[in-house]
Amino acid sequence: MKGTNLGEFEELVLLTVGILFDDAYGLAITDELAKQTGRKSTISSVHKALVRLEDKGYLSSHMGGATDSRGGRQKRLYQLTQSGIKVLQQTRETRNTMWGRIPKIVWEGGGV
Amino acid sequence: MSTPQPPKWAERFLEWFCRDDLYNAIRGDLEELFARNYQKYGKRKASRLFIWHVILFFQPFAFKKKNRFTPSSPIPMFKHYLKVSWRNLVRQKMYAIIKIGGFSIGIALFVLISLFVRDELRVDQHYENGDRLFRILYANSDPTSDWSRGTTFPAPITYALKDHFPDIEKAGRLISFQFYDSGSNLFRPTDEANNIFEEGFVYADQELIEILEIPMVYGSRDNALSEPNSILISKRKANKYFPNQNPVGKTIILNDGESSPYVIGGVMENLKNSHLSSFDFFITLSGKEFWEGEQTGWNGGWVYSPYIRVRPGTDSKELEKKLSYIHENYVVKTFLQEGDQRADSIRKYGSIELQPVGDIHLKSHDVSDFLAVSDIRIVKLFSAIGIFILLLACINFINLSTAKSAKRAKEIGLRKAIGSRRSNLIQQFLSESIFVCAISVLLGAFLAWISIPQFNLIAGKEIVFPLSEWWFVPVLALLALVIGLIAGVYPSIYLSGFRPISVLSGNVSKGSQSPFFRSGLVIFQFMTSIVLIVGAFIVHQQMQFILNKELGFDKEQVLMIHGTNTLKEQLPEFKNELLRLSEVEYATVSDFFPVQGTYRNGDTFWKEGRSKVDEGVSGQIWSADPDYLDAMGMKLVEGRIFSLNMNSDSASILVNQKLVKELVLENPVGERITFWGQIWTIVGVIEDFHFDVMKDPIRPLALRRSELGTITSVKVNTQDMEATLTGIRNIWDQFKPNQPIRYTFLDESYARMYDDVGRTSKIFTAFAILAILVACLGLFALSAFMLEQRSKEISIRKVLGASLKSIFNLVTIDFLRPVFIGFLMAVPIGWYMMNRWLEDYTYRIEISWGAFAFAGGTALLIALLTISIESIKAALADPVENLRSE
Repeated sequence: MKGTNLGEFEELVLLTVGILFDDAYGLAITDELAKQTGRKSTISSVHKALVRLEDKGYLSSHMGGATDSRGGRQKRLYQLTQSGIKVLQQTRETRNTMWGRIPKIVWEGGGV
Repeated sequence: MSTPQPPKWAERFLEWFCRDDLYNAIRGDLEELFARNYQKYGKRKASRLFIWHVILFFQPFAFKKKNRFTPSSPIPMFKHYLKVSWRNLVRQKMYAIIKIGGFSIGIALFVLISLFVRDELRVDQHYENGDRLFRILYANSDPTSDWSRGTTFPAPITYALKDHFPDIEKAGRLISFQFYDSGSNLFRPTDEANNIFEEGFVYADQELIEILEIPMVYGSRDNALSEPNSILISKRKANKYFPNQNPVGKTIILNDGESSPYVIGGVMENLKNSHLSSFDFFITLSGKEFWEGEQTGWNGGWVYSPYIRVRPGTDSKELEKKLSYIHENYVVKTFLQEGDQRADSIRKYGSIELQPVGDIHLKSHDVSDFLAVSDIRIVKLFSAIGIFILLLACINFINLSTAKSAKRAKEIGLRKAIGSRRSNLIQQFLSESIFVCAISVLLGAFLAWISIPQFNLIAGKEIVFPLSEWWFVPVLALLALVIGLIAGVYPSIYLSGFRPISVLSGNVSKGSQSPFFRSGLVIFQFMTSIVLIVGAFIVHQQMQFILNKELGFDKEQVLMIHGTNTLKEQLPEFKNELLRLSEVEYATVSDFFPVQGTYRNGDTFWKEGRSKVDEGVSGQIWSADPDYLDAMGMKLVEGRIFSLNMNSDSASILVNQKLVKELVLENPVGERITFWGQIWTIVGVIEDFHFDVMKDPIRPLALRRSELGTITSVKVNTQDMEATLTGIRNIWDQFKPNQPIRYTFLDESYARMYDDVGRTSKIFTAFAILAILVACLGLFALSAFMLEQRSKEISIRKVLGASLKSIFNLVTIDFLRPVFIGFLMAVPIGWYMMNRWLEDYTYRIEISWGAFAFAGGTALLIALLTISIESIKAALADPVENLRSE
């Protein structure tokens, strides 16, 4: 099994899969990522992240939803698994906890 | 308008590299993107972007997976392979025996030959200063001469070398042939009475034992031979005569010469891996002068072999060039001073060369030498034969493995069907082949080990099986691995290539898928075997020719009694006593007999008064008493034999026909010739007889009168040799009770001269037998397999009325064809090879078609018998048995 820690891009892809819910496939995720974060990613890097996340057990997939524009080919539709949801929650909690630990003075100082 | 299409080749590229489970989704996404971009940017940009994205996908996560199953450890799989290999061997016992048996014979031979070659190659390679040690050779480039390089020089050579060349650190001389006390002697410690015959005496300088780094047991290498009359003896001889004591300082006596005893100056280790290892006694040259002026004169006495050690950093090529100074200022100058006409040709053709001591043993075949050296050509021939036999064994292995393919086809199909990849199968068959090879190597090493005494006997060696040496087991393991890989590559590629569907659906692959390759192997094997049989046959024929040739003397029933010189003045009386025995027909006393191991000398003959004018003829000068011709059965062609009673006969000689011919004497009897600085009168001419090995032509020879000699030869005429020998022994014991009689038979001594030929003959025979055995094992297994494949065909033929004979012919001829082609290829190779071997002999047989007919016939017959075993079985088999299942 590959390492179970979550990279930043992987986290974004995971969140996007959650947002798209029942139509989360490669191209749609790429589009949604661009819309949500404003950053352009290539279709291949999204697919790469999806394969890794599925290997890690955070995503599961099934085939479905062929359209003409795809040359009649099915999409691979991704869904969050239990552990996928759990890892997103954990990441968020960790962040919140860490946010809470930052002394107020830091915010008031406004950085260097 | 048709729907836009992305570039086809990019799609195909994607399909080629992309994982199957991802392919559809990726392709769909890319096409959707393409459609969108097509709307947005038009066809060209959309296509470009499509290609770009395909290229972006070309990274490891998307690649097709080679093998989804990767075991965590390879060991269980190898265990499984070994188990399957073992089961396969056990299931087909006959194949297993043939496969392993044939292979281990090949390996045993290979091991033996490797040990032999190693033993030959390491002679004289162990010296600390090996690269600075040289022997000095005299080279003769005269194309008409019968020798090209010699080892001997006059006595002062070493002084001259050291005087003129400071690069030469040490220089020492050796005399290794029968010359005064070198060669063989009767030996006894001074305080003992009994003489014992000993061989292996040489003369050597003190510096020689330093140059050759002789290892010492007692005494010092720095002075063991520095005193006059000192002698260095080997450990084994010291143990024999002076057990459990240090013999340095003790005296010994040679040939009853009480007046000049030798003092032991040191004891050396038994020499091993040295060109001098047959010698046990080194007599010092210090203070020796064999005749007056011999040590300082350059005119004659070319008996010393000089060895040198040069200083570190000396360029030996440069030194060799500078040695021409010695040649010009000593050798040529001496001839000029003597007014000898040969000076010019000597200046033109002669030169002095350096030979590294490490080359003496193997690279001296053109050197006229007195040492028992070997020949690099023999070593090369042996290596070639060893590799060939190993190759034959490997070929058999390949042949058998692929021939058995049908038996394995189902297994292979099943393995593939449940997910074995080709690489797994290749691994399996390679490990199987290494496994079988390891068994064969073990068995082969064992065979080699038990046959080493026999091998030593045939090869005339003293090889010790290196079982306890650290490198031996690793080398064997490596051998198993390497041969296993070589022999396994083809079968594993071939077997792993089967298509699972076709083999599992019962369409069993034919064993004869590559008939060309397979019969090529049979051709090659039989070619090699036939060449070896031809070799064995021709060497044997030459040996028979040598043993039965008309020699010019009668070697049957002649007894040579050695060491009769110690009888001194009693010798004539001893001879008379012998003649009194009724079985003794003739007796003669001489130093010289026409077999090796007796004395030889040499000088140049001229017609009277021409010695400073003509080139002269070189030849032998033998001494003998007047009974010599009768005792040896030689024929007098002209004139008379010299007499002991006529004083005038002291300068009378007999000459052989060759001398008459070479000196161009019209009426030889009465002619006067010059040698040894004297004039001699020819009183008789004897028929030429062979006194050297048949490699050399008969040389000119003169026989002069003498009553003395180391050997008394007796011609007997008896049915009961034992009784005659007892009679002779009794007479000897009356004269010399303290010295056991030592005798040899002339015919045995003669045969011993050709031990090397006999040895070659035996080796060829052994190799030929083994090669044909290995080839037949292969052929046998192959025919068994092929007939099994064709059993149904044969049964149907029988049912349809084919006769036994026609079936036998059908299956046999298929196999005899490659044997016959092998024969055709063997003829030129065998002819060329054996002609090269025979070229060494002046007296030789001509290669006859008989040899080839014999070899081809033998090979064909053996092949036919081999095949018949199976083909008769096939022809006789009940067709019902084979066809019932259909």
